[in-house]
Amino acid sequence: MALTLMLLLPLLAAVALIAIPGESRAERGIALGASVLTALLAVVVVAGRHEIDVPWIRSLGIRWHFGVDGVSAALVLLTALLTVAVVVHTLAGRMPAGGTGSTFLGCILLVETGALATFLARDAILFFIAFEVVLVPMWVLIRSFGDDHVPDERRSDAAGRFVLFTVLGSTLMLVGILFLVHHQGTSDLTELARLHGDGISRSLETAIAGMLLLGLGIKVPLWPLHTWLPSAHTIAPTAGSVLLAAVLLKMGTYGIVRLVVATVPNGVATLSPVLAILGVIGILWGGLACLVERDLKRLIAYSSVAHMGFVVLALASGSDTGLQAALLGNIAHGIVAALLFFVVGDLKEQWGSADLRTARVGLRDTAPRFGVVLLVGLAAALGLPGLITFWGEFLALYAAWSPAPDRPATLMRVCVVLGAVGLALAAAYSLRVARLVWSGEASGGAAAVTARAEDAPAESGAVVDARGARWGVVLTLTVAVVVLGVLPQLLLGVSGPDAIRLISGAGVLP
Amino acid sequence: MSWIVRMIVVLPALAALAGLLARRQRTFAAGIAIGVSAYVVVIAFTQWVAPARAADIESIGPLSTGGLQVPLHLLSDRLSGLVALAVALVVVAIQVFTAWYLRDDPRYGQFAATVSLFASGMLLLVQASDLVLMLVGWEIMGWCSWLLIGHDSERPEARRAAYKAFIVTRVADIGMVVGLVALAVRAGSTDLISVLTADGHETALTVGLVGVIIGVAGKSGLIPFHDWLPDAMEGPTPASALIHAATMVAAGSYVIARLFTLYVGHDGARTLLAVLAAATMVYAALLAFAQTDLKRMLAYSTLSQIAIMLAALAAAPRDIGSAPAVSHLVGHAFFKSLLFLAAGWLSVLAGATALAALRGRLHGRGALRWSMGLGLAALAGVPPLIGFFTKDTVIDAALEGATGGGGARAWLVVVALFVTVVLTAAYCARTWLLLDTPLARPGTGTDSANDIDIDAEMPAHVRADATEVPETVVVAEEDVAVVTVADSADDAEVERVRAHGHAPITLAAALSVAVLAALTVVGTLLLTSLNGALHIGVLTALLSVLLIAGGAYAVWTLSDRGRHDVADRVPGHVRDAAVRGFGADTAYLGVGRAVTAVARLVVVLDRDVVDAYPRATAVVARGLGRAGERSHRGVPSLSLVGLLVGVVVIAVLGVTAWR
Repeated sequence: MALTLMLLLPLLAAVALIAIPGESRAERGIALGASVLTALLAVVVVAGRHEIDVPWIRSLGIRWHFGVDGVSAALVLLTALLTVAVVVHTLAGRMPAGGTGSTFLGCILLVETGALATFLARDAILFFIAFEVVLVPMWVLIRSFGDDHVPDERRSDAAGRFVLFTVLGSTLMLVGILFLVHHQGTSDLTELARLHGDGISRSLETAIAGMLLLGLGIKVPLWPLHTWLPSAHTIAPTAGSVLLAAVLLKMGTYGIVRLVVATVPNGVATLSPVLAILGVIGILWGGLACLVERDLKRLIAYSSVAHMGFVVLALASGSDTGLQAALLGNIAHGIVAALLFFVVGDLKEQWGSADLRTARVGLRDTAPRFGVVLLVGLAAALGLPGLITFWGEFLALYAAWSPAPDRPATLMRVCVVLGAVGLALAAAYSLRVARLVWSGEASGGAAAVTARAEDAPAESGAVVDARGARWGVVLTLTVAVVVLGVLPQLLLGVSGPDAIRLISGAGVLP
Repeated sequence: MSWIVRMIVVLPALAALAGLLARRQRTFAAGIAIGVSAYVVVIAFTQWVAPARAADIESIGPLSTGGLQVPLHLLSDRLSGLVALAVALVVVAIQVFTAWYLRDDPRYGQFAATVSLFASGMLLLVQASDLVLMLVGWEIMGWCSWLLIGHDSERPEARRAAYKAFIVTRVADIGMVVGLVALAVRAGSTDLISVLTADGHETALTVGLVGVIIGVAGKSGLIPFHDWLPDAMEGPTPASALIHAATMVAAGSYVIARLFTLYVGHDGARTLLAVLAAATMVYAALLAFAQTDLKRMLAYSTLSQIAIMLAALAAAPRDIGSAPAVSHLVGHAFFKSLLFLAAGWLSVLAGATALAALRGRLHGRGALRWSMGLGLAALAGVPPLIGFFTKDTVIDAALEGATGGGGARAWLVVVALFVTVVLTAAYCARTWLLLDTPLARPGTGTDSANDIDIDAEMPAHVRADATEVPETVVVAEEDVAVVTVADSADDAEVERVRAHGHAPITLAAALSVAVLAALTVVGTLLLTSLNGALHIGVLTALLSVLLIAGGAYAVWTLSDRGRHDVADRVPGHVRDAAVRGFGADTAYLGVGRAVTAVARLVVVLDRDVVDAYPRATAVVARGLGRAGERSHRGVPSLSLVGLLVGVVVIAVLGVTAWR
């Protein structure tokens, strides 16, 4: 009951919000109330491991079948809580131009609905439907509410790219799902995971895995299918960037775990060398691009490509450690990317652009709160031990060094070394950003800074420090990065047993 | 007793957090930093007296990581007890000294908190019984070093030095991470005991041990990663003391000491270590001799001394073990922190760190003169100071390794050690003579702290470097590669002194220096707790005392009893190159440029190749749409319809007939 309510609440709220014409005060209450209630329900659902299973479209044998297990629990919580953060952050500041506030908030809630349904779906067809729900609202967020400093064509290009890439991915995925469902005779994900590829020939498994991986790989994004990501991130408003990085990308990796690794393991094993190589190329490619990237939001988008490369590398290893590493890396990137996009979004709002070539005053003196959270975010992005990202990446490297027996060990070990090189690149670009933004490359001491700030605040880059609800949001995320980094077992313990069951084909739900 | 071990690690971390929150209240921040570090000394002392002798102390509980065991245990034994105590002592001295040294610094709170976090990282490394925890401590120190070196981030040199330090060590950490992963895979566990007792998997073992050596070479500044350390002198002097004395730079020796049983059985890895250490030891000592800046001289001496510890690990036979290296680690911790704090004290009195500006400044300065003298003497290895005992323990161990079947590897180390002994004595004597011999000029009034006549005393090239701050290139374009170094390393505090002087030293700060000075004399007693940490051969001791005396005497005569700088006898161009580290920085710059070039290529490829397909698809789709639109504008001609119908009919006929 709580589960259905949790899915319907944001959906209904979104419909109501989009239906509201023009501006009104009610929209704020509805959006905030709905997101908070959904988050509370999400906690209840995850804590109680709720499940619902009733017939839906009888003629197609599709059931209204949702449930939560260790693999999806953290993602459900992440989505629900981050939506609260996004809504609070949006309400605490200026609403992005380009449409009514209620449409904006409605789209956020619609994305939440789709994401939650994706993570909870226990039926392959249902998974696909939920996966598609997020597309249109996300398109609206980018197309209408995107960065208004750039010409309309670029917004249209970014939004169009996002939709076309993702739709292509989903189409491939749908074909893969239909093949899989047709041959296994069921669309129940639990049943598919229990079958674990039994009854399909290896070559067919490989074909299905290939289609699904290609389709989901676009969303992850896997190199070389990533080119939609930087432009979408740059143009999207802060709320859009956060949801994109922290929720939408996760749907791709979650899909790979749930829909591919669990159901066609032999196909994944055959394709794992390709997967590992593409993952490592993504790590290096993203890291290198970040070294010279001039736009801060694009830079973080490329760093996402690198981080997701580690997740893919972990998945390619095929061991239970690898799966744990991937799940942890997924959550870690979600939190860290959300933190960085919140901070950078706020800075961009004040700077007017996120161009790194503009010499600005360092944040550490002018805006110490932004400074601290940005620094923690960057430290996490470079995989500093003791912060959450480290565990996912270290375990990914371990898993890739000792992959499952049917993987090419030598190739995987080369990938480990290259992945470790990616860690050094991550340090280089993170500190590059820290040097430019946190220390500040604008020459002259603090006195010169103050003088210039009085003359032209926008040019010198002096910003008003974070405060109020927005400060609360970024501070909470910072605390999460540190606490989960010190106690990674909080996440690993939740996903551990189910991850082992999933990889060994013992089914997932008890 | 296990709570003591946990407290040793956790308390400094909590102090860092509290200090960061309380950074605005200066007194409170100082109170937390000093109070907690003093308490850590007490509990570290308790551990030193009675270590728990356990390697299964729970920290945050084991992780569920599938097939890999990650128990995350801490340990407590004689070794960790000794090193943790040394670290805690040095940290408390530095915290007390910092409260005075940075009293005018608006960022004192952050600095003290970072020092606490740094200490926490080192103590975690020391107490860890798990490879992952070691790596955590290792990297936390790297990060804190970035913060500390870049403390005065208004100065481009500091930003650059901090960046360089972190990137160079991080590049070396590629080896560290891969090495630790390989060792963990070999044992199926990250637990130290399992890793040490696992067998088989020769390849993984080799990769693991060599990888760890590469990582250690980065943080400990072995060739070719050595050049970040002299530049790191851009940080405030207490930060240099912390990084050099007992923590980050020396941490590598501790890691290898912990893994010693694996290294002993692997000749290849130990030979690599021996070659790197021997080369660094001599090379850095030579460069130390030529330096024009007191702090940079100390930095090069650190490189040389750390290499001595690592050489001990490379050459010592199995039955002697890692104790000599750890012994020198502790000795070095005391005298090097003493030297740095004394150098900091002297530099705010004189308003400079360039040796030319400091000439004769030590004369008649009582406690400071004694401290500096003791520090330099201990560094040179003069008996009965701690440096003498620890260095000779190392020499003796290496000699036993050489005579006991260590072969060329151990002999290389022995020869390098003796050469280093002479060189160390020489540069220590040179420094002492420069600092202590009063200048011949009458009435310079050098005793006044506010008397800033350094410009007159500085040689032209030093002055030029001090005043011509390199233009900061704005921005992004070249910031992977960084600007060139000036050969003076004044921190912001020293620059502030030039502007408005510095408060006279507080009793507490002076006492902290005095305590370190006392430890260089009686600290040897601490070493008795560790088996094999003191092992002096009579002959080697006699030989090294003679070498020290010879080296010092040569400098004394060559410098005309201290009236001249003996390093001036080195030909000018060689000396300039040596001061600049023989172009190592340029080489790093080249690597940085190469990586940037590749990165630019990647960006171009990303735009013009990877993204070409989607764009091409869009163009093709749009073109097809236009073509379709055009062809549907009118009614198709009858002939076209006839042609299409004909084609279809023929096709249908063909297919049917073929069947």
